[in-house]
Amino acid sequence: MIELNKITKKFTLHNQGKTNILVFNNLNLKINPGEIVALTGPSGVGKSSILKMIYGNYVFQSGQIKINNHNIDHTYPRNIIELRKNIIGYVSQFLRVIPRVPTIEIVMEPLLEINSDQDEVREKAEKILLKLNIDKNLWNLSPLTFSGGEQQRVNVARGLIRNYPCLLLDEPTASLDSVNKDIVLNLINEKKDSGSSIIGIFHDEYSRKYLNAREIDITKISDAK
Amino acid sequence: MQPILSVHNLNKYYGNQVGCKNMNLTLYPGEVVGVVGESGSGKTTFINSISGNLIPDSGKILIETGNETIDFLEISESLKRLLIRTELAFVHQNPRDGLRLDISAGGNISERLMSIGQRNYGNIRQTIFKWLDKVEIDKSRVDDFPRTFSGGMLQRLQIAKNLVTSPKIIFMDEPTGGLDVSVQAKILDLLRKLVRELNLSVVIVSHDLAVIRLLADKIIVMKNGEAVESGLCDQVLDDPQHSYTQLLVSSVLQV
Repeated sequence: MIELNKITKKFTLHNQGKTNILVFNNLNLKINPGEIVALTGPSGVGKSSILKMIYGNYVFQSGQIKINNHNIDHTYPRNIIELRKNIIGYVSQFLRVIPRVPTIEIVMEPLLEINSDQDEVREKAEKILLKLNIDKNLWNLSPLTFSGGEQQRVNVARGLIRNYPCLLLDEPTASLDSVNKDIVLNLINEKKDSGSSIIGIFHDEYSRKYLNAREIDITKISDAK
Repeated sequence: MQPILSVHNLNKYYGNQVGCKNMNLTLYPGEVVGVVGESGSGKTTFINSISGNLIPDSGKILIETGNETIDFLEISESLKRLLIRTELAFVHQNPRDGLRLDISAGGNISERLMSIGQRNYGNIRQTIFKWLDKVEIDKSRVDDFPRTFSGGMLQRLQIAKNLVTSPKIIFMDEPTGGLDVSVQAKILDLLRKLVRELNLSVVIVSHDLAVIRLLADKIIVMKNGEAVESGLCDQVLDDPQHSYTQLLVSSVLQV
């Protein structure tokens, strides 16, 4: 379960004339287990910012964010690190990896955090890569030279190899063809059915409908815009 | 869970000049803390002061060994030396500072082992080979002198030399500083794997924000000898609160 209560978020740009940008005021949101929430609204409205606040990348000035009853509290970074290790998964829009590390190892990494059986983890990674149509010949190469769609699927594989109770998805299907899009959407549906609380940004109507997502227009739930 | 290392209100002056002041740090097992800032900001003074290379003027350094909490600045010199050889390790920016160039690669690795009392030649040789393999240096180079190694190999040898006694806390000062980017990537990958496999706790100094983002869980941003901001690594880099951090983050060149 993900809960945001009365969140205020602003950016203060010290080096640009101390400009203050109020992004959210009194933002409230709740995502239940087994539910997918899709954030909508024009670009720049703060869809990604919501995901980044939940994952702990962005601080907020007031209010409360609770993940399975644990507070996101930046005075204790250790707690956020633990939450990320055990509870929250995040599929970001872009792949950020160490150059020259093979794809298979990048996909294995999140699972190795909790399972030290290399062979078992490798098998699971191979399975999900196969499912996502990443050619076997590519597994031992770094994904940095892959096409946009392939990189995105590697990112999805890495994010979905585990079963996180809470899952954040930032346009996971944006650069995929229709066949691969359906594959990714099916995987997301599987996570939902297993009880994950899922919140995401999906640029197309098709994906939101396919996932049967509860759509939330941000402009309607925050006083700021 | 207890922090394995905690630093409280640490100060180090060079005469009237501030080296670092009012520094705090909490490091948990398996965690990587990055220390960033421009040159001259006190990063190296700080890491040297908490690792036994420099004696700070005031402050507290507590090290958790599992059975007891050690007050690092209060213990005897001999116990301190022992800790530095066993529980702590220091990886220098320039591997030549951390290696003996006039003894073989294998000799460099075995030195730490022998200093803690290992004497069985066969066992020591086994351990050396295991570590050469871990840092991807060919076994056939075991008896070569480090001066015949490339910069990247030297750095990997220094890492092996330091990790061979399974230290719990590793200090690293710009470990990829003088290396070309392809070698840097390899070292970064190696460090990440070792941190996970061996549950290492690391304090790493770097001026390269990209390196810190890839390796660190937490970050301390230093300026003029003080921490201006600290916290979760990607939060500080994605949503910096202090004006200096904002400047630092926005100054990074995009490739």
